[in-house]
Amino acid sequence: MAAQISLMTAFDDGRMERSAGEEMRALETFLRGVERRALRMAELATGNREEALDLVQEAMLGFVRHYGTHDGAEWPPLFWRVLDSRLNDWHRRQRVRGRWWSRPADARGDDEDDAIAAAPDPREPGPLARLADGEASIALDAALRGLPLRQRQAFLLRLWEGLDVAATATAMRCSEGSVKTHLSRALTNLRRALEEHR
Amino acid sequence: MNTRHDEDWIRRATALLDRSAEDLDAATLSRLNRARQAALDERRRVPRRWIWSAAFAGAAAAVFAVAIGLHRRVDAPAPQALQAGDIDVLTNDDDVDLYENLDFYAWLGAQRKDTNG
Repeated sequence: MAAQISLMTAFDDGRMERSAGEEMRALETFLRGVERRALRMAELATGNREEALDLVQEAMLGFVRHYGTHDGAEWPPLFWRVLDSRLNDWHRRQRVRGRWWSRPADARGDDEDDAIAAAPDPREPGPLARLADGEASIALDAALRGLPLRQRQAFLLRLWEGLDVAATATAMRCSEGSVKTHLSRALTNLRRALEEHR
Repeated sequence: MNTRHDEDWIRRATALLDRSAEDLDAATLSRLNRARQAALDERRRVPRRWIWSAAFAGAAAAVFAVAIGLHRRVDAPAPQALQAGDIDVLTNDDDVDLYENLDFYAWLGAQRKDTNG
């Protein structure tokens, strides 16, 4: 009887070990899958790779601490939520330190809501179309850096990362309506900024 | 909301972003790897913390249960020792009714003495 209990305990321990091992592998696979895009997102927000790496590391630690035990299906919006929070904190610190500079997107004011001025010309092939990859990449980085944080996050999370509206809202801690508004403005501002690079 | 016009440049923009994420240099990839491993180490520590918390909670519950048990034992009225008379009653084969009506029989005896006297 004792031997039977011992065997059962050993089996249960093994199953728990395997389960924990699988969970760690799933977590590593997930982090490996998002880390590069997370770095680029942070780099676009900070304009500095070292600071971006620090922010991604903080986001990874915060994510595993708070959400590592959640179901894997919930991880994507939760990870981006942690990173978004770190990026917001970073921007807040920059404003406090007075290193925040006035950017073209911020200075545009009401003009960004001018639907006629913002409407694309259907005869044009669209921004980026006439640029070679190298130039287009530089132009895109500059245009994205020129966006306000919330607009840039809406664009990157919704259209690059591929989160749906609800998941993007979770990641950005805002309503779905706000996501749509930020994204619409981001597209308008990006199109306009990229057209200037033709 | 997106027009066909938008879809083309958005597709190109996301492709450029994908490429920029793929083309990271070795030093950056190494830093990312270290960051990931540090995060996973943190996750490995979480169960241990959980076990210590559970062990502490279990020990606290055990101490509390023992304290409650001792408290109740002190408060409970101690059973009174049996008197010698009680033992006689319990071990005697006499009719219990006799003991219950002992006063009556004593009074009856006194009445008879008076009558005879």
